[in-house]
Amino acid sequence: MKRIVSICLVLAMALLLFAGCSDGEKEKTGGTLNLYTWAEMFDPDVLAGFEEETGIKINYTNFDYDETMLARLEAAEGGDYDLVIADDYIIETVIAEGLAQKLDKSKIENYGNINPIYQGQFYDPADEYTVPYGAGVQTIVYNPDKIQIDVKGYGDLWDAAFEKDLAIIANYRVIVGMAEKVLGYSYNTNDLDQIDEAGELLYKLAPNIRLIKDDNVQDDLVSGEVDAAVMYTSQVTMAKLADPSLKVVYPEEGIGFGIMGMFIPSKAPNADAALAFMDYILRPEVSKASFEYLGYYCTTKAADDLISDEYKEFLVLPSDFKAEDMEMIGNISAEAAEKQDAIWTRFKDLCE
Amino acid sequence: MKNKNVRLLRRERGANAVLLGPMYLFTVIFLVGPFVYMIVLSFLSRAETWGVVNEFTLRNYLKIFEPTYLSTFWESIKLAFLVTALVILAGYPFGYFMAKLPAKWRGPVLMLVTIPFWTSSLMRLYGWIVIFRANGLLDKFLMALRLSGEPLKLLYTYPAVVVGMIYALLPFMILSVYSSVEKMDWTLVEAARDLGAGPVKAFFTVTLKCTMPGLMTGVILTFVPSMALFFIADILGGNKIALIGNVIQDQLMKVHDWPFAAALSVILMLMTTLMIFLYRKITGSKDVEGIV
Repeated sequence: MKRIVSICLVLAMALLLFAGCSDGEKEKTGGTLNLYTWAEMFDPDVLAGFEEETGIKINYTNFDYDETMLARLEAAEGGDYDLVIADDYIIETVIAEGLAQKLDKSKIENYGNINPIYQGQFYDPADEYTVPYGAGVQTIVYNPDKIQIDVKGYGDLWDAAFEKDLAIIANYRVIVGMAEKVLGYSYNTNDLDQIDEAGELLYKLAPNIRLIKDDNVQDDLVSGEVDAAVMYTSQVTMAKLADPSLKVVYPEEGIGFGIMGMFIPSKAPNADAALAFMDYILRPEVSKASFEYLGYYCTTKAADDLISDEYKEFLVLPSDFKAEDMEMIGNISAEAAEKQDAIWTRFKDLCE
Repeated sequence: MKNKNVRLLRRERGANAVLLGPMYLFTVIFLVGPFVYMIVLSFLSRAETWGVVNEFTLRNYLKIFEPTYLSTFWESIKLAFLVTALVILAGYPFGYFMAKLPAKWRGPVLMLVTIPFWTSSLMRLYGWIVIFRANGLLDKFLMALRLSGEPLKLLYTYPAVVVGMIYALLPFMILSVYSSVEKMDWTLVEAARDLGAGPVKAFFTVTLKCTMPGLMTGVILTFVPSMALFFIADILGGNKIALIGNVIQDQLMKVHDWPFAAALSVILMLMTTLMIFLYRKITGSKDVEGIV
């Protein structure tokens, strides 16, 4: 008898082990929008406003990395989620794998509010699948009390004035791309000789580097740990809000853009709710609230005028901005990516 | 009667299989499975932008011999040696004297050594940032003593990483040395002294030899992780010191070259195995004290 009990116990425990493996049943009723993106992408008031107006409940789940999202979406074969927001380069892969569905634009009344500068990009050339939600550029921010030279672009970062005082983003495409830009090449060049040349130039930047970091670089700039930093838009926003005396430079070599896009997975349980949400976000006043919260460039043209002055400098493109000054960082050949990565690893070695 | 015993034995075996089965299954699924997956992955090719193609290649292993990655291995090993040496210098005496404390003090001191483990190691590293940063605690202290005139900018430097690593790994050395010294047969030392050995000689010929298993366990527990603790190099070193762990993380999350990351991990595991092999050679023991 004892033995039977113990066997039963063991079996029960084994079952418990596998209980975690079962597919989490998602609510598939008409009243839910399964939103899948990074944490803190939306002002809670904006989400509450949508729920109140439409009666659709938002089920907000997070991922840390684009790659995690892709893996989950592949596993769910384009189901489970109604609306996903991710980075441009991964959306290109999502579309290529057939995991996104074409948008029924007749259901997005405010579609015309999108700033056309952010449309027709490499990841969705015909704008069939995505609505942009925020864009970022990499800009130089510096403390004018400490850095005495006139900074115009990436090329100036090699100046001895930055010695051991510069922080950069930990993204090899952005940083190797910076050297490519100084040499007048494209971010997305697949020409290995050009990449090598950029590498040689980048190695000479090593003595100026104090810090390589993706998260919260603005803290190091504001606290005086570093005197200058190459960073993302949301970080620029936070740095400027904390210390308005900091100077922001749009590099004269041109700006590298990253766009975040909303798309609907191919087998979304509730695509209509996703379309309604896109339409809601594209309203000028909702966009204003969203982008002021998010701290990324406002991709809704109709909201540009509503953005408050405090934020305008870093959420709205300068009026003299020309589309040809910007280049998106897209996918490059595996060979080129490998070369860039080897350069990056060597560069970090030289930074010590 | 005999027959009945055999039947009983058989039934017992059957029950054992049922009882142990889930454990074996668990090991196969969560230990052997990922390991085999990693080895297989390390021989496959990467896809153009994302994922893996089922094509056999040795590229991933050959790539490790490129000067860039070889130098990363070399840097990691150098740092690991430095950290291990410093941890031995600080940890061995600590563990040794801790074991020789009066019994009523041993408990509380042991407790103090383990208390930091109650908080996340990440939180404790952030504590070091507060100490090291410009105008941080250390700067203020040194300036108050007039030893330095301006902020030293100690954060994001090589010494900061070394200090962080020592801090994170020291308890492992202390605890393994402690358990070894505590179990030691002190009459051997007495015998050595009786036979004319001075305290120093007695320590090196008897005590050190007897506590070698504990010391070596500490060395393994220090050396192996210090090659891979990428977050310490990230947080305190400003990401500039590329350890093998950092390269593996970059390959996975940024370059999307999973096969190369797998090959690097396999090499790292081989190095670990080598360390354990050396451990057995040196101590003549079959298991790793405190680990297994």
